[in-house]
Amino acid sequence: MLDSFFNPRSVAIVGATPKEGKVGRVILENFIKKYKGRIYPVNPGYNEIMGLKCYRSVSELPETPDLAIIVVPAPSVPEVLRELGEKGCKAVIIISGGFKETGTPEGERLEHEIKELAVKYGIRIIGPNCIGIFDNWSGVDTFFLPEEKMKRPPKGYVAFISQSGAFASALMDWMAYNNIGVSRAISYGNKIDVDDIDLLEYLAGDDKTKVILVYLEGLKNARGRMFIETARRVSMVKPVLVFKAGKTSRGSLAAASHTAALAGNYSLYRSAFKQAGVIEVESFDEMMDAVRILLDQPLMNGNRVYVVTDAGGVGVMLTDALTVQGFELPRTPPDLKEELRKILPPHCIVENPIDLTGDTDDERYIKVLEKVLPRSDVDAVVVVALPQVPGIKGGLADYLIEAKNKYMKPVIVISIGGEEAIKLARKLQENGVTVFESPERAAKALKVLYTYSRIKSNIQG
Amino acid sequence: MSPRDILAAALKEKRFKLLEHEAFQIIKYYGIPSPEVVVVKSPAEAVELADKIGYPIALKIVSPDITHKSDVGGVKLGLKSREEVGKAVEEMLRTVSLKAPNARLVGVLMYNMAPQGLEVIVGGVRDGIFGPVIMFGLGGIFVEVLKDVSFRIAPITRNDALGMLNEIKSSKILEGYRGQPPVDKEAIADIIVKTARLMEENPEIESIDLNPVMAYPKGAIAVDARIILKQG
Repeated sequence: MLDSFFNPRSVAIVGATPKEGKVGRVILENFIKKYKGRIYPVNPGYNEIMGLKCYRSVSELPETPDLAIIVVPAPSVPEVLRELGEKGCKAVIIISGGFKETGTPEGERLEHEIKELAVKYGIRIIGPNCIGIFDNWSGVDTFFLPEEKMKRPPKGYVAFISQSGAFASALMDWMAYNNIGVSRAISYGNKIDVDDIDLLEYLAGDDKTKVILVYLEGLKNARGRMFIETARRVSMVKPVLVFKAGKTSRGSLAAASHTAALAGNYSLYRSAFKQAGVIEVESFDEMMDAVRILLDQPLMNGNRVYVVTDAGGVGVMLTDALTVQGFELPRTPPDLKEELRKILPPHCIVENPIDLTGDTDDERYIKVLEKVLPRSDVDAVVVVALPQVPGIKGGLADYLIEAKNKYMKPVIVISIGGEEAIKLARKLQENGVTVFESPERAAKALKVLYTYSRIKSNIQG
Repeated sequence: MSPRDILAAALKEKRFKLLEHEAFQIIKYYGIPSPEVVVVKSPAEAVELADKIGYPIALKIVSPDITHKSDVGGVKLGLKSREEVGKAVEEMLRTVSLKAPNARLVGVLMYNMAPQGLEVIVGGVRDGIFGPVIMFGLGGIFVEVLKDVSFRIAPITRNDALGMLNEIKSSKILEGYRGQPPVDKEAIADIIVKTARLMEENPEIESIDLNPVMAYPKGAIAVDARIILKQG
């Protein structure tokens, strides 16, 4: 149903312009650069823009465009929409602002008018007052921030839905910088029609999307239950992470009952997320860490975590952090202890966290991990590899990359430090081994992975 | 009368807070355990029913015009005999008509007082975005001061309801502490699920408070029910 927005065969850009710095220009440039379908600029002032034939009006277009993008000033939007309706266009992104968000009667009236037109012609609308869609696979890109100001992330498998255009842009830039691949991003502005629920539904069935991120300020009235039902279905297929903004409530006015007084806005959202099997993240860092671990790591069968470290102190920090997140760090069972004793020098500690100490080399890690990873009573392994120790040369990284696929259980790495640590992290991450800079972040991310594993196996927690 | 009739009658009279016995009738219809209540009009009627209801007996004035019942002498608790009940009803009717001369009096609500248990609260409210939402918490300071409550959005399953019990910070109290026995979680969960159904099936209801619900090692009973209707 929403496929015309993401995979259109033809696109009309109403309000396209050759003028530098204008929204209509940036969007047209985006399409010319990446989009493979037919592009129709519409603007009565030009016969040609950037080498493309320009049409004076929608009615003059040689075909019905699958998708139309409107960037003309708000007062002209209803007329354009009517023409698109007459032409038979069913998917429209309205970038233009100047509607309800202005708080003026005029803005309100215009928004009402476009809503009615949409219903009359059966047009689905994203926006108005939005930055629209960035689709890395089809080349649809209405994000009107020029590439030199906002880098586009590589093609990949993270989709996000954002109520805020600014947040979406910042996230895009950040993901580009961190080399995290994006499938599709949508910012829907005033959401007079297409909303989070429609988009979740679409992304659930999208084979290019493996993790869905949602930045949410608030749902539309009476859509709460639908959100829960949809998100619950989607969560069974792929993880949904949500960042909820606007957590503090103004307090209920003259609440008539205890329950009404206590039912603050955010507490209801939290319950809704829980019921929907949606995972809430509370900061930008947490969101990114969660995305990385969900993209790269297999799910967990249980919550028993083993730590293999070259630094006793970090082992202790990690033990604390993992325990706070509710993980179990089992004592090393006797049979494993015995095996480890045989292969380790006497000064190493075989109790979990297993401490290989500062004189370790790659080989020692590999020998121990070969004993730990295959065990069925181990649900995840955290490897602390402080690369400052002289014995770590690169063999460990190669081994970890291989081991992750071999044993099909999460193996994550903590690497703290400067240049060497970053080099190690980059190599591992490029090959699908998740690396964290701190025990706390690693533990929190692992918790997300565990929570999603439980949601997926449908255990209520 | 069915809940539909009760709600229709109240709305017709523009009463947006149900009278206590109406609220009890509605929760009873949904199978939520509550005391048997009767509304009596005279001391004689009260005396006649007292033995059947059993002691101790509580009395509350029923009037759409009185909010703070105890301020006008409209509450009497712990009555232990026919004589006490008869005298108390007589006195109540007299005092209330003196202190609130313009109030319409429906009668006196009479019921058997449930023994003290662990006081918990089950509530429901209709939210613009989520629709019926159900709340659970422990009574007293836990709700008033610590706001230690949990919510679920209807419809809710029994598992959801049990989740609500375990989610509050003070959930250990439900397991029993300082020699108190654990309370019947299943019975509370049952009330939660039924309250959700009640909210779902009666869109006229804006909010409901069952406060307190007395929870025991076996069973739980809503000893007070407050139902507010949507205006307009």
